[in-house]
Amino acid sequence: MVILEKVSKVYNEGTPQAFEALKEIDLSVAEGETVILSGVSGSGKSTLLSLIAALDKPSSGKIEVGGELISKLPDLHASAYRAERIGVVFQHFNLIESLNVEENVMVPLIPSALPLADIREMAAKSMQHASIGHKALQAVKRLSGGEKQRCAIARALVHDPELILCDEPTANLDRENSLKFIEMLEMLHTLGKTIIVATHDPLFEKLSFVSRVIHMEDGKIIKHEK
Amino acid sequence: MNEILLSNEVIVYLLSETLLYLLLFVAFIVTAGLLRRWNFDAFTTEQFRLENRSYLVMTIIFFVMVLKVLLLPYFVYTIDALSDLVPGAMCGAGVIKANRYGNPLLVLKIVILFMSGLWLSINQLDLQAKNYPYLKLKSWFFMALFVLLSAEFILDILYFTHIDTINPVSCCSVIFGQVGGANGLPLGLDIPKLLMLFYLLFALVVLTLASNLFLLSIPATLFFAFTAYYAVVYFFGTYVYELPTHQCPFCMLQKHYYYVGYLIWGLLLFGVFFAIDAAVMQKIFKKPSGTLKRNALLLLSLFVLLCSAYVVIYYLKNGVLL
Repeated sequence: MVILEKVSKVYNEGTPQAFEALKEIDLSVAEGETVILSGVSGSGKSTLLSLIAALDKPSSGKIEVGGELISKLPDLHASAYRAERIGVVFQHFNLIESLNVEENVMVPLIPSALPLADIREMAAKSMQHASIGHKALQAVKRLSGGEKQRCAIARALVHDPELILCDEPTANLDRENSLKFIEMLEMLHTLGKTIIVATHDPLFEKLSFVSRVIHMEDGKIIKHEK
Repeated sequence: MNEILLSNEVIVYLLSETLLYLLLFVAFIVTAGLLRRWNFDAFTTEQFRLENRSYLVMTIIFFVMVLKVLLLPYFVYTIDALSDLVPGAMCGAGVIKANRYGNPLLVLKIVILFMSGLWLSINQLDLQAKNYPYLKLKSWFFMALFVLLSAEFILDILYFTHIDTINPVSCCSVIFGQVGGANGLPLGLDIPKLLMLFYLLFALVVLTLASNLFLLSIPATLFFAFTAYYAVVYFFGTYVYELPTHQCPFCMLQKHYYYVGYLIWGLLLFGVFFAIDAAVMQKIFKKPSGTLKRNALLLLSLFVLLCSAYVVIYYLKNGVLL
């Protein structure tokens, strides 16, 4: 499903401030697998996710997702790839505060040519999956942290992506909400989704549905743990 | 300093051309580097850097090409405006003939307009694909185009610095002298034959485009453009001016004629471009060209309708033809 070959990423390349965030990463994630990327802040987890999400391009190396070479996608196609094939859950939720929950969930479908009724139906289904349907018309700024995260998950799932990427999803949640989030991930895993979570939350380390914990340090993978 | 170079229109025009040429020069240097080192199959740092750079440089070229298309009517407007400064000139016709660089410059500008349009089409195809399939082609095309753009820039400078404001030039007078209008026509044509050819070729262009006979549509369109130029100057233009001896391609660009020349020549140039572009996209790149074809048919039909309308309206108003 996801294949990385010798992927490196250097920020501020060619300047005295050059910083090598990833160093020749080789990684393979099978379809339906749930993988945790673990490591301290600055170890390269978020950079790795942003490259898989085609939010950025590597400095060298090859990234394939579902047979499609995405490390060289031109911007136009990178947007289409994100809109169709992946769902991303961010640490800071990245919701639009001025919209309500339903509207936030509908946002990724706006560029599609689908009729509004269909978009509403898909959003309702996704909000139900993420247990936030009862707050559909509530303004996002009035939600708790846990509810915001569920809204972000509903938004990430609304277009039924094959790959879900979560970047420090529980960093802003209390323990109770973190456990609820993990339950939701397990549900997505049983639906056959491929999931990659970048986190340093220890709650993720001993989960039965997680096939591997990949430890990162200083831009390199140092250990794969089953 | 020559008063031509101090006129507002020329200052704006030459400044714009110089800035655009500088951008193109930078693009030329970067494109040469791209062509030397490009290897899409490589996943090296250098290749990723080249891909980022190609995006930037192609955006610059795109921007310049679009502006160059817009600068052509401004160039025509500028030479028309200079007719006040050039003795003997009543419109752009006199100014363009003010020295030996004018006519080659105008022809070169039209050639560059067509080539820029083709480059923009190829660029569009390349951007729609995921793997830069036409990057090398459009880069080589740009390199060739850059030679023409350099020649155009030199001719621009030579032309505007060599316009004589003391000795009078001949303007439409040469054309006015050809009473009857047939003397300046090519291929031994007279006006009735020219008109017959004009409408027949238009019908052929429509037919070949509508039936996707693109190998025929290219020569038909080019021949139509050639015939249309003479038809406008020697026949339809006289109805714009309402004077049978006034046979000038430039006067119709003036305010007195509601700037209709821009519309007439614009419809012809863009219609011909879209017709050729449609054929090139379909035959060479095997890409659907429905929109281009529709644009060509629409613009050329409007061109023929507009030209014919002047004759019909004149006849309805006066009960006679010129």
